[in-house]
Amino acid sequence: MAYAYLFKYIIIGDTGVGKSCLLLQFTDKRFQPVHDLTIGVEFGARMITIDGKQIKLQIWDTAGQESFRSITRSYYRGAAGALLVYDITRRDTFNHLTTWLEDARQHSNSNMVIMLIGNKSDLESRREVKKEEGEAFAREHGLIFMETSAKTASNVEEAFINTAKEIYEKIQEGVFDINNETEEKISDQLELNRQANGIKIGPQHPTTNSTLSSNQGGHQAGGGCC
Amino acid sequence: MNFFRGVISGQAAGPQPSGAETIQKLCDRVASSTLLEDRRDAVRALKSLSKKYRMEVGTQAMDHLINILQTDRSDSEILGYALDTLYNVICNDEEEEQDESEDAVAPLPVSGKHKNVSVPDENAQKQADDLSLQFTDTFIQDPEHVTLLLTLLEEFDFHVRWPGVKLLTALLKNQGPQIQGIILVSPMGVSRLMDLLADSREVIRNDGLLLLQQLTKGNAAIQKIVAFENAFERLLDIITEEGSSDGGIVVEDCLLLLLNLLKNNSSNQNFFKEGSYIQRMKPWFEVGDDNSGWSAQKVTNLHLMLQLVRVMVSPVNSPGATASCQKSMFQCGLLQQLCTILMATGVPADILTETINTVSEVIRGSQVNQDYFASVNAPSNPPRPAIVVLLMSMVNERQPFVLRCAVLYCFQCFLYKNQKGQGEIVATLLPSTIDANSISAGQLLCGGLFSADSLSNWCAAVALAHALQDNLTQKEQLLRVQLATSLGKPPVSLLQQCTNILSQGDKIVRRGSKVQTRVGLLMLLCTWISNCPIAVTHFLHNQENVPFLTAQISENLGEDERLVQGLCALLLGICIYYNDNSLENYTKEKLKQLIEKRIGKENFVEKLGFITKHELYSRAAQKPQPVFPSPEQMLFDHEFTKLVKELEGVITKAVHKSSEEEKKEEEVKKTLEQHDNIVTQYKELIREQDAQLQELKEQVASMTSQNEQLQATITQQQSQIQQHKDQYNILKLKLAKENQGQSNSQGDGSQVNGLQTEELTQLREEVEELRKQHSLLQTQLSDKDALISSLKSGAAQTAEGPAGGSDNTELLQELEALRSQVQSQSTEIGQLKMERQDLLRRAEAGSSDTLPSSDSSLDAAKMAELESRLGAQTSEMERLKAEVKNLSESRAELEKQLDSTTSTVAILQTEKEKLQTDVQESKKEQDDLLMLLADQDQKITSLKKRLKDLGETVEDEDDLDTRDQTDDDDEEDEDED
Repeated sequence: MAYAYLFKYIIIGDTGVGKSCLLLQFTDKRFQPVHDLTIGVEFGARMITIDGKQIKLQIWDTAGQESFRSITRSYYRGAAGALLVYDITRRDTFNHLTTWLEDARQHSNSNMVIMLIGNKSDLESRREVKKEEGEAFAREHGLIFMETSAKTASNVEEAFINTAKEIYEKIQEGVFDINNETEEKISDQLELNRQANGIKIGPQHPTTNSTLSSNQGGHQAGGGCC
Repeated sequence: MNFFRGVISGQAAGPQPSGAETIQKLCDRVASSTLLEDRRDAVRALKSLSKKYRMEVGTQAMDHLINILQTDRSDSEILGYALDTLYNVICNDEEEEQDESEDAVAPLPVSGKHKNVSVPDENAQKQADDLSLQFTDTFIQDPEHVTLLLTLLEEFDFHVRWPGVKLLTALLKNQGPQIQGIILVSPMGVSRLMDLLADSREVIRNDGLLLLQQLTKGNAAIQKIVAFENAFERLLDIITEEGSSDGGIVVEDCLLLLLNLLKNNSSNQNFFKEGSYIQRMKPWFEVGDDNSGWSAQKVTNLHLMLQLVRVMVSPVNSPGATASCQKSMFQCGLLQQLCTILMATGVPADILTETINTVSEVIRGSQVNQDYFASVNAPSNPPRPAIVVLLMSMVNERQPFVLRCAVLYCFQCFLYKNQKGQGEIVATLLPSTIDANSISAGQLLCGGLFSADSLSNWCAAVALAHALQDNLTQKEQLLRVQLATSLGKPPVSLLQQCTNILSQGDKIVRRGSKVQTRVGLLMLLCTWISNCPIAVTHFLHNQENVPFLTAQISENLGEDERLVQGLCALLLGICIYYNDNSLENYTKEKLKQLIEKRIGKENFVEKLGFITKHELYSRAAQKPQPVFPSPEQMLFDHEFTKLVKELEGVITKAVHKSSEEEKKEEEVKKTLEQHDNIVTQYKELIREQDAQLQELKEQVASMTSQNEQLQATITQQQSQIQQHKDQYNILKLKLAKENQGQSNSQGDGSQVNGLQTEELTQLREEVEELRKQHSLLQTQLSDKDALISSLKSGAAQTAEGPAGGSDNTELLQELEALRSQVQSQSTEIGQLKMERQDLLRRAEAGSSDTLPSSDSSLDAAKMAELESRLGAQTSEMERLKAEVKNLSESRAELEKQLDSTTSTVAILQTEKEKLQTDVQESKKEQDDLLMLLADQDQKITSLKKRLKDLGETVEDEDDLDTRDQTDDDDEEDEDED
């Protein structure tokens, strides 16, 4: 299927907060009540439309368990967006957010869009973290915030799409350098530090890549394609 | 080199410094020299020694070299030497070893432990392997060393990066899992290694490929990260750049890495599919028909490409994943491309075989793809279906064994879960649909079944069995197949022929193994008659079959016949288990007795067990593809192993059951059946009630819809009524306006629509008043008449005078004239009356014509009439309005009432008409009188005048009278006065 852009997402957060369920709800529109531990990382994909453009989301759902932390770190660098999830019925998952955020900021591209998600909003009776607290945390750290329920599908769609919108806006503003994934670095000492921002331009886009590589070495800032 | 030779030879002699000593010295220099130059030279020397004195350098210099890596990071040259040295020590490259041995006169006793001088090659290799392992372990004892190596890979300098890549590759080769673990936990470890693929220096990129191959071996987590780092994109790009299958070994390396990433990694397979990379595989197989050259590299590349396709649609993948990949392979034309290769000429057998296997797995269980495959034709003249062409190869002894296996697999996959395909294949054998002109699949299979080649027999039998798999219809259809044997003999059924060959097999000289043929036929028979009682009956109908089977099972035969015995036992077991007791001689019970008498239950079960105990059984059970190391081992079919698994237990049970037990069971069955009956009865009841419920529901539904419809019509009618009301109101207003207009102009806009009783009474009152006036006027008239007569008499008296006489006659004449005038006027009035009547009639006819009458009196009358009619009708409307309000529920009633009201209207109309005529009459009379009165008044006044002139005194009464009269017509009278 043709797409204008491809965004890579990761979903992070403590174990059992419902990361895999969020993904399943988003890609398959169903809910699985049985908790099945994610081993390492699992993959999912879906097409969405923003501003009339087809955008492909490739989503990597990571394991929340501490033992997989080092593996999941490898996925930060190449992601354009991250869903940082906690469970509103378990305060500890909220308390761990700082650690997760530090980890993400340290290993990821600085432009990565992070969406804070308080999941399980359907379990209002067991709520331990107020919505206001989530909002405050998000404000403090410059994140987008949303409460979702993977069970009732409430806000799930919005969470993924709003993140994509934010990334899309950043591209429009020229924050992301979307041409940097081309094989153009000729004897560039910075080569290993190349930015992998998790965005790819779709095949039907006018590919300015080849002309760019011959004319200008190094990194061209701004999204020349849009 | 001479120096080192000396060292070597000197080792035995003693006096000269040994290699170990030299190395020790060099190590000391590396460790203690303050000058970089010195350290660099020492490391370089170590490097040059590292191949020959691998052991020594490894043991003594390892720590120092690692130290250099940590401390001398600024100098890429020394780093390069150190890495090279470490690589030489750790790597175990056979070729280089051989190079070395050419150099050396004799194999080198490297350490005290390995003193065996005349080591055979194998042993040397083992020792070298041990060394590699040992040094690798030393190196990775501290995981930090691996991390250090990873950071060194960030160094762009060729002299550092290249040996770094090679060293890490060597480490991974020796201790994969451990190093994979270290790299996995080091931040960005895998990502950094992925960057090697982007290196513009091909050597590094190519060695990076080899490194990634080692890195991804058997580690799903790393495979996923590598895929996440856009490996698919990059590798596919490199493959395209290098010319796809025409590319060199780099393409091969890319393909091997892709295989590593995708094999048994469902997450990556999903990613590969979702990333639309399947579509990018299609151009790989556009190899063209010219086939100018098939280099060894191209064959290897294409082979790996085919394997990649197979990985995506492997039968071991989850069915959903395989199905979606199969779908996109069809949609992007990959399957079609593969079929082109299948039918192309000049394709190497190796590639052709693998292509067949690939096509098999792309179509397996996918109806759309199977249908497409069935439609593929070979470019021969006339065109033949690809299936037929392939089957020809399967039953052709001269074709390579692997190719024949591949064709069998392809055929099996074509029929897998494909009832339509099964039907088509069996149909080519049925008398009604057989086509004598062309070779059909069925003919080929029969030919193979009865050919003199045991491999063909086996393949054809298994292929035919797959056409019957899980398909009762085809099992029954195949019973109809008749074979023409030699001339003059009656045709034999296919089933009969199979059993014949089985029992007389020994008489025919065959190539290959007899066991293979018999196993194949027995598998076919088992598949055929299992789960098909009619086929069992057919089989038992042949009197020779059961004795043959019992004889086979009971005989004490050699090892190679055991499998046949087992299969015979299975076949007999199926005859018992799926027996519908329709043949008296071979009922379940009788067959069991036979087993007990002739074979013995225990013996039977033991023989049955021979099948699953066979060494090749479990191998075939593993996967659907028929792969055999040699043609002799081609004995079991995958689907058949499933059947055995299913049947072994139930047959054992069936045989072990005594007749008593069976009876009991039957009783239980009976009670169960009774229960079942009750249950079915209830089910029936429920079903009936269900149907009733359904019916009622439907009724309710229809009624609600009816109700809705009715409600809709009611609202419609209500709105209509409202509309009518509105119309009526508008008309009323219009009428009022028109009435106003009518009083001014002569326009007659009377659309007689209703009646108004109120106005009617008003009119009546008016009429009454008019009557009163009329009588008043009449009395006045009579008064005047009396006056006139008195005046006449007075005049007569005066006429007696001479002057007065003439005057009197004059007066009389005048009077006469006046009378005639009155007369003429009254006739005129009569005329006008007529005219008016006429106009009235016209008005009654409903016309809205204007009356061009100029006579005001008539118009007034007419107006009054119309007004009254209008008024009457308006009131009637009012009444109707009220009625409509009250009786909105029923239109019919309304109509009825309308009828009644129209009748009342008629009555009222007639009444009105009466009144109208009354009014007319009275009015006319009144008018007449008024006229008369006026005339006479004039006359009187004139007469009075004359009288006055004549000198006669006139009584005052006259004035009084005149004054009375002027109450009605003030001005007129005053003027006249």
